[in-house]
Amino acid sequence: MPPDNQTTHNNGKRVLCIEDEHFISELYARALGRRGYDVDIELDGQRGLEKAQTNHYDIILIDLMVPTIDGIEILRTLRDSAKTPHLKAKIIIITNLEQREDVRADIEKQADGYLVKAEITPYELADILDKLKINNS
Amino acid sequence: MDNFESLRAQIRVYLVTVCLIENILLLGGFWLAVKYWHISLNFELLMAYGLGVILTVIVAFIVTDYVLKPLKALWQAIIHLSPSEQGVAAPDINKLSVGRALVTNLTAQIYQIVTVAEHSESIAIKQQGSLKSDFIANNLPLPLLVLSPDQIILFANKAACTYIGRHAEDIVNQNLYSIMNISFPSDQTLDNWLKKAKESTVTDSQLWERVRLNVTDNQPTRLFDLAAYYNKDNPQKYEILLVLFDHTTQYSQDDQAISFVALSVHELRTPLALLRGYIEAFDEETEGKLSPELQSFMSKMNATAQQLSAFVNNILNVARIDNDQLSLQLHEENWPEIVQGTVDMMSLRAKVRGIKLTLNMAADLPTVGADRISIQEVIANLIDNAIKYSGSSKEIIINTRLNDEGLVETTVQDFGVGVATSVLPNLFTKFYRDHHNRAQIGGTGLGLYLSKAIVSAHGGNIWVKSTEGKGSTFGFTILPYTQLADETKNNDNKEIVRSAHGWIKNHSLYRR
Repeated sequence: MPPDNQTTHNNGKRVLCIEDEHFISELYARALGRRGYDVDIELDGQRGLEKAQTNHYDIILIDLMVPTIDGIEILRTLRDSAKTPHLKAKIIIITNLEQREDVRADIEKQADGYLVKAEITPYELADILDKLKINNS
Repeated sequence: MDNFESLRAQIRVYLVTVCLIENILLLGGFWLAVKYWHISLNFELLMAYGLGVILTVIVAFIVTDYVLKPLKALWQAIIHLSPSEQGVAAPDINKLSVGRALVTNLTAQIYQIVTVAEHSESIAIKQQGSLKSDFIANNLPLPLLVLSPDQIILFANKAACTYIGRHAEDIVNQNLYSIMNISFPSDQTLDNWLKKAKESTVTDSQLWERVRLNVTDNQPTRLFDLAAYYNKDNPQKYEILLVLFDHTTQYSQDDQAISFVALSVHELRTPLALLRGYIEAFDEETEGKLSPELQSFMSKMNATAQQLSAFVNNILNVARIDNDQLSLQLHEENWPEIVQGTVDMMSLRAKVRGIKLTLNMAADLPTVGADRISIQEVIANLIDNAIKYSGSSKEIIINTRLNDEGLVETTVQDFGVGVATSVLPNLFTKFYRDHHNRAQIGGTGLGLYLSKAIVSAHGGNIWVKSTEGKGSTFGFTILPYTQLADETKNNDNKEIVRSAHGWIKNHSLYRR
């Protein structure tokens, strides 16, 4: 199993995880927490968007199917500099579904990554995030 | 009628000449009579003689016309029936006073000859040209297409028009591929076969199974077997004959089964991912605290969850292949790293069965052009297969090297039950599993089919050598990156790698 010796590397990196599936967010929060990330979980789309706009995060994970606002709408709003100026976070879409063509095109243009939840374990997610180049850090 | 007029003129000249000679002789008679018999010529006699000459010429003209009437009627009859001379009326034979019987008879003969000629001509046309009027071709209850050497459709029978869903006039004289969007189950396509046939044979025939006709307007895809006949230098340009045998119902049942399974399996993914996540967390929390037995249970649980996950992936990927949705993007990859990673991933599964994976990698392998995740699935499938069919043997050897053709070759060798020679060719087909082993060994039979599709998409080859009772060696090749880059000028967005598992921009795990 992955050792926790990377904790120090990620000290202070803040992750927002907008994901309504409780089990998944629990597993992600735990694994990323062990790797030294500071993880915020948000189960609701609207509140997740507000958090992303008002706080500083290094990485934002967005599930496409969340209540109140779609993940794709959150992505579009965060990437709209009029609505969300100065956003520095890397945005990664997490989902299990195949996307419609227009949605997929937007994701490819605006997101920094796209991961199929069913294909990765929490520590594999942590491995991937570890290798992300974080802006301004 | 110019020829006839000149004939008439000639005959008139002859007759007039004859009359004039006769008159000259008559004149000579007059001269003798005057000289020896002392008859005096008076004016009246000379006038009568002159009148006689004029009358003779007129009679010659009339006689010419009269004599020529039967000939003219015959002439007219022939011209009338001739296809090249238009607008000449049929002769009125009843008005003939001379030679009516003869002309009637001859004209009847001419009509008969012409009728026979016309009939044989129409038979010739039928035989030669018009498949349209061919009863069998047209009413054959199987779709039938005839193509020219450059694959232009020359003929489509009624069944073909119905099958394609267009009128004959929209199909004929069009290129086959502009009318039918067909795809073949392997790279042995109609085009490739024709190319080979044109080079090497005079006639050839071929049968394909499971050819797809992709229909627009939301109609379901049709699946059929295609029989083709090739005939070099056919005089009518009927070089290629295609007959379609529709098996949509039969074949789509398999496909529906796959789609249904894929749909159900899709629902397994989230709980499975959760299960693996919790096993991972549990393993981590209990590390060092469990008895060796409990620790081995944990490993087996983990290995089994991995196996289930791989199975789910295989099912989903087969469904993607069947819907032409498996798209790979090949990037420059470090091959030893990929092989090592996959072997590490599989080693837990081998270990719980007491099998040791031995990996031999040649030094200095070139970078390869690969879709990392898909090609990992191939290696994993081959190792998984080797584990399943290892029987009581406890070793699997994985070799990777640069072969004589300059391709990167990877083999997975087991020393287990092996495969009978007779079934080797079927191993890479969908749903195939060795009948002897079917009962005791689990598996979908999809892994090799999938591996073949993925390796082919990489431009490589996959094969198997096996001896029953001694084990099998599965191997595949993929292209070094330099060779691939030469072959495909890839203009795609180089920053994105797409696959079943996702992508990360500028990410070392997913991009290189």
